[in-house]
This record gives sequence, C-alpha cells and structure tokens, in this order.
Amino acid sequence: MSAQRTPVPGGSGWLARWGVGLALAGLVLLAAVLVPGFFTRGNLTTVLLHVSVNGILAVGMTFVIVTAGIDLSVGSIVGLAGVLVAAVVTNAGLLSAVGVAGAAAVAVAVGIAVGAGVGVVNGTAVAWLRVNPFMVTLATMTMARGAARLFTGGVPIGFPAPGAPAFDLQVAGLDALHAIGGGRIPVPGLPRGFPVPALVMLLLVAGGGLVLARTRFGRHVYAVGGNEEASRLAGVPVRRVKLGVYAISGACAGLASVLLVGQLRSGGPDAGLLYELNAIAAAVIGGASLFGGLGTASGALVGALLIGVLNNSLDLLGVQAFWQEISKGAIILAAVLFDVWTKRGSDEAVG
Amino acid sequence: MTEAPLLELRGVTRRYPGVTALDRVDLSVRAGEVHALVGENGAGKSTLLRVMAGAISPDAGELRLDGRAVAFAGPRDALARGITVIYQELTLVPQLPVAENVFLGIEPVRGGLVDRARLRTATARALAELGLEVDPSLPVARLSVARRQMVEMARALVRNARVLALDEPTATLTPHETARLFACVERLRSAGVGIVFVSHRLEEVRRLADRVTVLRDGAMVWTGPAAEKDDAALVRAMVGRDVEYPRRPAARPPEEPPALEVRELSREPAFRGVSLRLRRGEIVGLAGLVGAGRTELARVLAGAERAGAGTMTLAGAPYRPRSPREAIRRGVVYFPEDRQRAGLVPRLTVGENVTLSALDRFTRLGLVRRPAERRAAGAAVRDADVRPPDLGREARTLSGGNQQKVVVARGLLARARVLLFDEPTRGVDIGAKAELHRQIRALADEGRAVLVISSELPELLALADRLVVLREGQVTGALEGEAMTPERVMGLAVAG
Repeated sequence: MSAQRTPVPGGSGWLARWGVGLALAGLVLLAAVLVPGFFTRGNLTTVLLHVSVNGILAVGMTFVIVTAGIDLSVGSIVGLAGVLVAAVVTNAGLLSAVGVAGAAAVAVAVGIAVGAGVGVVNGTAVAWLRVNPFMVTLATMTMARGAARLFTGGVPIGFPAPGAPAFDLQVAGLDALHAIGGGRIPVPGLPRGFPVPALVMLLLVAGGGLVLARTRFGRHVYAVGGNEEASRLAGVPVRRVKLGVYAISGACAGLASVLLVGQLRSGGPDAGLLYELNAIAAAVIGGASLFGGLGTASGALVGALLIGVLNNSLDLLGVQAFWQEISKGAIILAAVLFDVWTKRGSDEAVG
Repeated sequence: MTEAPLLELRGVTRRYPGVTALDRVDLSVRAGEVHALVGENGAGKSTLLRVMAGAISPDAGELRLDGRAVAFAGPRDALARGITVIYQELTLVPQLPVAENVFLGIEPVRGGLVDRARLRTATARALAELGLEVDPSLPVARLSVARRQMVEMARALVRNARVLALDEPTATLTPHETARLFACVERLRSAGVGIVFVSHRLEEVRRLADRVTVLRDGAMVWTGPAAEKDDAALVRAMVGRDVEYPRRPAARPPEEPPALEVRELSREPAFRGVSLRLRRGEIVGLAGLVGAGRTELARVLAGAERAGAGTMTLAGAPYRPRSPREAIRRGVVYFPEDRQRAGLVPRLTVGENVTLSALDRFTRLGLVRRPAERRAAGAAVRDADVRPPDLGREARTLSGGNQQKVVVARGLLARARVLLFDEPTRGVDIGAKAELHRQIRALADEGRAVLVISSELPELLALADRLVVLREGQVTGALEGEAMTPERVMGLAVAG
C-alpha cells in the first residue's frame, strides 16, 4: 500500500521524498562537469566499492533508526567480527579439516553470527530491560572494541609470517576470502570488472528495501517507530521488533567485516573505528528520522553515495582529506536542516 | 459583598475548531474569598483557567484587573501581575531543590551570582506561612505530590500572588493530604489572596467555598453564594442539560455465560475489588470522574497492564492477557482515549493503520499480500465510514472523528468480540459523534460485548444498557433502566 501513498495536501511531501535523490543527482552532474576523471566507468565503480562497507552498515542502521533507536556498536562489531573472521580463515586446523572453501564459508558465517549476536545483546537490553539504546550500544561498542584488542593482543591477524608451518594454507584461506572482499566480476565494458562488495551492498539494499516495504516485520518496524504505544495496543510485538532490528544491524556489521577482511587480507582490532557515525550520517542524510517512523534502505544507499561521491571528487581534485571531513559535516547539517524544514511544512498541512 | 473584585472576567468566549469551549462566561474573584468552579469533565473549567493565566487569549470578552481592562501578553505577564494558576500537571523541576524551584525565573542575584542565602531564607519564610515543614534544600523529586503542590503555592506566595487558581488540586491526594492543602488555602485566604478552586467533589466545595460558579458545556449556568444551593441542586445545575440522544430500549435478557466477566479485580493504586460482566449484544457504560480508575481498568482488561489481584474469564474460559497482542488474539480490543498518542501511527497510511492488528492474516512467508490487504482494508474503511475512504492517505491528515473511525475499523478487522471504548467521541464533532454512536450500537447488535467509558453523561445514558459507576477506584453502584438518571450517576460518582 505504501507504493500508492497519497501525498499530503499542500505539504512538501514530494520534496521530502525525492530531495536527497535530487541532491545526489545534482552532485554527480556537478562532479561530472567539474572534476576531471570522475565520470568514467572505472572511477564510478571505485566509488561504489568505497561506499560499500558504509552502505551496508547504513542499511542496518536504518532499521534501527526507523524504530527511533540508534546503534553505536556497529563500528566495533566490524572490528571484533573482523579479527574473528581473520582468525577462522587462517586457522590451520580448520583449513586442513574442511578445506579452503569450507573455512572461508565458516568465516563468513562466524562474521555474520558474531555481529548478529552482539545485536541480540543490544536488542535484548533495549527491548526487555528498557535501557536507552544510546547507552546500551555505547556500552557494547566499548566492550566489543576491548574484546577485539584482547583477542589479538592489539595487533592485526592476517598474513602469516614467512616460514610459518601452514604458510601456504593460510594464504590460500585469505585468498579465498579476498575473492569476496576484493573480487571483481567480469562485466563487458568494465575493464576491471564489477567489485563484489558493491554487488553485495546493492543486493542488501534491495533485500532491506523489500523487508521494510513489503513484509509484516517491516510494517511493524515503521509502526513501532511511528508510535510505540499505539503499536503495542494494536497488538504489534514491539519487543520482538526491536530485538529484530538490532540483530539485523549487527548482522550487517558482521557482513561488512567479512568484506573488509577479505579486501585487506587482514583483520585489525582497530578496524571500523568511528564507522558507526558514518553509517548514522548516511541513514539520516538518506531521510531516516532520528525520532523514528521514517527511513528507507534506498535512502541509506543514496546517503552513503552522497558522502562517497563528495569524498571521491575532492580526492580527484587533490583536496586535503581534512576538507573532506568539513564538507561531510556540512552535508549532515544540511540534511538535518532540510529534514526539519520539510517536516515543518507538512505539519502545517495537518493543522 | 459590595467589595470590588480583584479579577473579573466578562463575557469570555473561546472557540476551537468545531467546539465553543467557553461561551460568554463571567467570573469574578474578590480578595480573601474562595470561589469554587464546578462542572462536568469538559465543561470548560480548565480552558477558563488558561485564559486567566494568560496561556490563551479569549476570542471575545474582557479581563479586568482592579477594575481596569487588561490583556495578558502571556503567562509571564499574568504572573507578573499577580495571577498564578496551579495546574494538575505541576511545573516544578524535580531535580532542583525546593528553594530553587520556588524562585525559578526570579532568582535573587547578588554580584552576578544567585544569592543562595536569601533564596533559602525567603523560601523558608514562605513555607512557614503555608504551614509546611520542608527542608528548602531537598530536591523536589523527594517530595510527595501533595507537598509539591504546596511548593507551587509557596512559589505563588513569593511572587506576591493576589489571585491563585488551583485546578483540581485534590484529585490525587489522600484525605489527610487534602486536609493539609485546605489549611494552606485557608491561610492564603485570610492573607487576602483571591482563590479560584476547581473541584468535582461537592464536599470540598462545601468546606472551602464562599461562592460557587457552575459551568456546563462552556457556559456559565449559575453563580452565587455557596450556601444558596444544596448538593442536589448543584448536581442538577452541573448535568442539567436535556438529554440530546434518544434513550435505548431495555436490553435483551442474558442466557449464555458473559462474554467477559471480572471478579474482585485490583490494580493498586488505580482500582480495587472491581467486579463486572459484559454480555454479548450489550453496551455497559463505565461512569465516573477523571481519575476514578476507569481507563486503568480498561487497560487491564485489554492486556496493556497487568492485574494485581482478581480473576477474569472470557466466554467462560480463564483470561489473563500478558500483552495487548494476546488480548487481541482472544478478541478483546481496546480503543484508547488519546488517539494521537495511543491509537494511531500518524505517519502510516490509513490502510496500514487499519490492518495493523490483523496483518498476520494478510501475510504469507513474511510478505504482506497487498491485494488481499487492500481489499480487506477498503471494506473495513467503508464499513466504518472513514472520509475520505482513501487508503493511501497518511493517518495524521484526518480529522479527529475520522481518526477514531480508523481505529474502529482496525478493531473490526481484528475480529474483536469484546470492545472497550475509552472516551470514543472526545474531540469529535457533533456529526461524527452521532455516526460513532450508531456504529457502536450496531457493533453490539451484531453480538459483540461493548464497554464504553465516557465523561459525558448524556452520551453514556443514551448509549448504555447498564451503567457501572467508579469512584476513587471502587465500584460505587450499578444502574439499569429507569434508575439511570444523571442525578443518580453524578451522586454515585462524586459522593459514593
């Protein structure tokens, strides 16, 4: 039914809906004209590759934000799940027992499961113990980071030392994971192929969009975020919905860690530092409201792309990285102001 | 009685879309008197206080202070001119100490810093004047509601308030606390403060008031010395409008086990020892004042709160819902009073709101089957007569009456067998009201059991086959047929 939503009469619903997409289109157009080397097939796929981890995190984050929650732990989950993924895929015993492909599959499963596990802890504390999501996920963020450093002793797990007894096997394991995280699918017309992480991200956006827009669970997510008490009285299983969104967010972070480890052939305990903030930024730029009830998976993608295109353009122009931070902050501010502005417009239409 | 009034309201009128909340109301407050303002829920008492407080301005009429016409720029202006209104929702900052709360916004300053010594001594003096022994450095959060009210009164005192209005201050107090509050009020009266006292409880009016003004449907129906009318006459004045709705014929005789039966149900502190029966095809009205425990009772029946003690049976089977979800599965649906807060999801569409309770039926493998959903929602919206019958419209854009119809449509789609309506027509315009009444009646006639909570007596009298009256959390009576008169209901509701 959401497909044929009637626009609010006299409101700026149209602008609220398509504004960010238009902003992205405008930015791409601007970059295509002004930035040499931007509008090439190779560079555009590079942008998609660079955006993929944040895009995946942002899709998960959107689920949480739509319920009026927040998940600060995703960056630390990338770190913790990443070191475990790297440890699994370089585990000589496992590699010889189940083979290289088997170990890679186990590593993928472990990464996603660890992420989902932390998410379940978050969701349980938020839904059943009624602790504020900001504080719960701040705590698990700190603990997960600590656990990652504890597990590795503070140094990355990855490429084996030369002369290690299972050197070849471990490298083969890392290579198998690299096929996912750094792999490219040959596509006619793209000399270097299409990056696998970007494909994973696009599939996840499509899947997340389907879940949010078309499933009962997705409807419940919007309902809980739009009015928790009304949803509870209407029979929505509010606590299960909350548990679900944090588990999804955690699982997305776990998946992102697999891609990151594959890409780098290494799992560092400090990987994913501050990624949660980029994911929140992408979700909010993409139209998710921190007050809940609003947000889409495709919006999260657009938000991540907006940040990615901007960074890429400034890179190509040789602008200092510090300026990228300043401009990213400005975009966040602009997105939030835009949000306030369009909401005010539509609220007046109600009165 | 010839003394000039401190504050005088003349012909004050205030309209809201679809409602005239105040219709040419006169009210005068003299120094050193307690003027009681009484009336049913929704009679316009709170609106009148808000006009006095400068929180809203009247559409017509004037306010005169010391005989001169004034227009308040806002609550701050009214406060500065010596008019303080204490609302039911107190306006203290719980974390701050008593003294800081008393002087909030008018802190004495010395050399750029708050003069804490003066703050404490002046607060202590004000508290002593009220006969309240409280350490001024104690955070307000540690005080009882009764003491917090007195802190608000101390606040009025240090601001040299000349007129003090109290909005149902005793609604949540124990008898002992009420006595202390009255002592405070009497001290202020003898200090020459003009006091407006809003209450439902006639015995309080008897104890305190020098004069009484009765409001009904936003209009002043009587004003005069308290001694001039006895209790029965006051009740008559409060409810005395003609019954606007046709009376129902008597209900059909019950033969099967009740659809929902409640025995000795308690949930402290809201209500205790409540027993009642809902039968198929019958509408039971739950009468009582705001705060009598009606909503809390309905929420327990609907699984939104847990019962403390007592038993419930649903069509003969044990019933103890742990969540609204479970209650809805068993066919018990609650329609909350506050639709904006508890009824609708404003940013979901009408269709999505309507199917929210019954989504399981339109879901296969987790995916919502939208054609089936749309068909069912469309039928429910047509049955409930939602206007416009547009499923794609966001629910927040509908009028109050249509929002209520959306909530009703949701309950119907969930195949409710026991329906609990909490103030179903509050904030609804007259036309939609009649339509909702017709629908509620039709729901009962189709064999459902209906409970209606309403603060509007004529509505209950017209709609209900039987009435159960709650007062302060206990059933004070059940009325049926000819016994259902406004006077008897109000009598049970205010005096037990």
